[in-house]
Amino acid sequence: MSAPCELYCWKGNWGLPSVDTDSLIVLAYARFAGAPLKIHKVTNPWRSPTGSLPALTSTDGSFSQPSKIIIQLRKQKYNADYDLSAKEGADTLAFISLLEEKLMPALIYALWIDPKNYVDVTRRWHAENISFPFNFFLPSRMQGKQLEKLRFIRSNPSLEAGDETEKELYCDAQECMNLLSQRLGSNKFFFGDSPSSLDAYVFGHLAPLLKIKLPSGRLQQHLMSLDNLNRFCSDILSVYFPNENVGYKVSSQAEGNDFDNDPNKRRKQLLSVLVAVGAMLCYALLTGIVAIEHVHDQEEPSISAGLHGPSQDEDEEE
Amino acid sequence: MSLAAEAFVSQIAAAEPWPENATLYQPLKEDQILLSDCASSLAVQAYLRMCGLPVQVRCRANAEYMSPSGKVPFIHVGNQVISELGPIVQFTKAKGHSLSDGLDDVQRAEMKAYMELVNNMLLTAELYIQWCDDNTAAEWEIRRKMSAVGWAGKSLEQVYEDVSQCCQALSQRLGTQPYFFNKQPTELDALVFGHIFTILTTRLTNDELADRIKAYSNLLAFCRRIEQSYFDEQDKDGQSGSSRFSKGPSLI
Repeated sequence: MSAPCELYCWKGNWGLPSVDTDSLIVLAYARFAGAPLKIHKVTNPWRSPTGSLPALTSTDGSFSQPSKIIIQLRKQKYNADYDLSAKEGADTLAFISLLEEKLMPALIYALWIDPKNYVDVTRRWHAENISFPFNFFLPSRMQGKQLEKLRFIRSNPSLEAGDETEKELYCDAQECMNLLSQRLGSNKFFFGDSPSSLDAYVFGHLAPLLKIKLPSGRLQQHLMSLDNLNRFCSDILSVYFPNENVGYKVSSQAEGNDFDNDPNKRRKQLLSVLVAVGAMLCYALLTGIVAIEHVHDQEEPSISAGLHGPSQDEDEEE
Repeated sequence: MSLAAEAFVSQIAAAEPWPENATLYQPLKEDQILLSDCASSLAVQAYLRMCGLPVQVRCRANAEYMSPSGKVPFIHVGNQVISELGPIVQFTKAKGHSLSDGLDDVQRAEMKAYMELVNNMLLTAELYIQWCDDNTAAEWEIRRKMSAVGWAGKSLEQVYEDVSQCCQALSQRLGTQPYFFNKQPTELDALVFGHIFTILTTRLTNDELADRIKAYSNLLAFCRRIEQSYFDEQDKDGQSGSSRFSKGPSLI
């Protein structure tokens, strides 16, 4: 084999190895196939060698998009689909299409377009985790791209956030999840006992829904009602990404820390307000907009005496 | 179609039997019809024939504007108008005609998945090729649209590759069976037939797409079988001056 490849993908949170579906797909596939990858978890697509995440660099070059990355890994003999029959391979292609047409649009909507979810969760996480100064404009740029993608997939150039859109998308997604659940049945994975690329794709799409707590969570609720899909995702997380679960506990402490940080945040806010007011005061003093008289109280008698002196003299003279 | 409207249509649909004068509207053939529209229309026709539901085909220049959703084809049944294969399948199901009732849950999931595969790969490829074929200055527009779904970097060659891959999957799934779910055709068979037949019989500037599909002999046999079983009688009324839909020996 060649030297270990390097994979650049989005950072994780909420117990997930990554918050991004495509990154999750690739990470899961790599674990399933036993590919030794050097993983870089980043928060800025511009740090990736291809300009987008996820990205794989190997001796053959750089690749983006899960399908291309998986092909490249297969070329390097890391093939999780080795045991699949021709029909199962065909089914894989078909179900991936189903995911991309019916589930992904709703996922995009739930994370990026639904106003409450976007502001409270998605934009906030990205703004907090992307480094300065990209955190100011990258999230909204990403949102724009996601909306365009959604519009193209649904063949609706004027698609906007709204109840009607949400209902249509979620209905399709719920049907898709039902179909997946029916196809999975009580099996461990979609094709037998060992996971394949289809499992990676399904995991990549469902795990964010399962783990990211969204304020508008209709889609999540539906997923929760499908036990076998729930179990499917949880099993993959606990078996193939055990450290993330530890990380999740840490991050739940971090969430507790957030509460601790809140007073810290308040303190910081108070400090910044004080600094601002202090700066304004100094400026005012220096330019003479505000003159503080009482500082000269002790000197006043002498000065005023001095002042009065001559005036007294003047008076006397007068 | 919104969800409420769909439910409403289903209720109304269930009330009346299928009339004799049901009509399918599609754009005019020569020059105006898109490859993808042609395929969609043929898929609907095949489906209705498989259900044994008679329908007349009419070509109209302004079919897109007549359609309630702007999409073609659409059918006019009684006093209802329904467009696109998905809603039409539901509509006929409400009237008691269904091809997929005999499938179990796993099979139904597979059927839906393969239908999405066809939509995803073949439909998009048809659109891409149609735009390229038109050779207009709108190539940058194609790139922009395709980049939204990650197809931007795709050259024509790669699109052909994708179609091959899709056909390979369909071919593997079909195997040696007469239809995708063994003995009885379903809406999946109609959809696959619509697209593959259209690609094979439409003259494009480049025959590579058709050649790639011809490599899969069981798909060819499948198309011929459906053509012979369901399109044998020449429906002259609805053909109105078209040669594209002639069900003659055009698969060779």
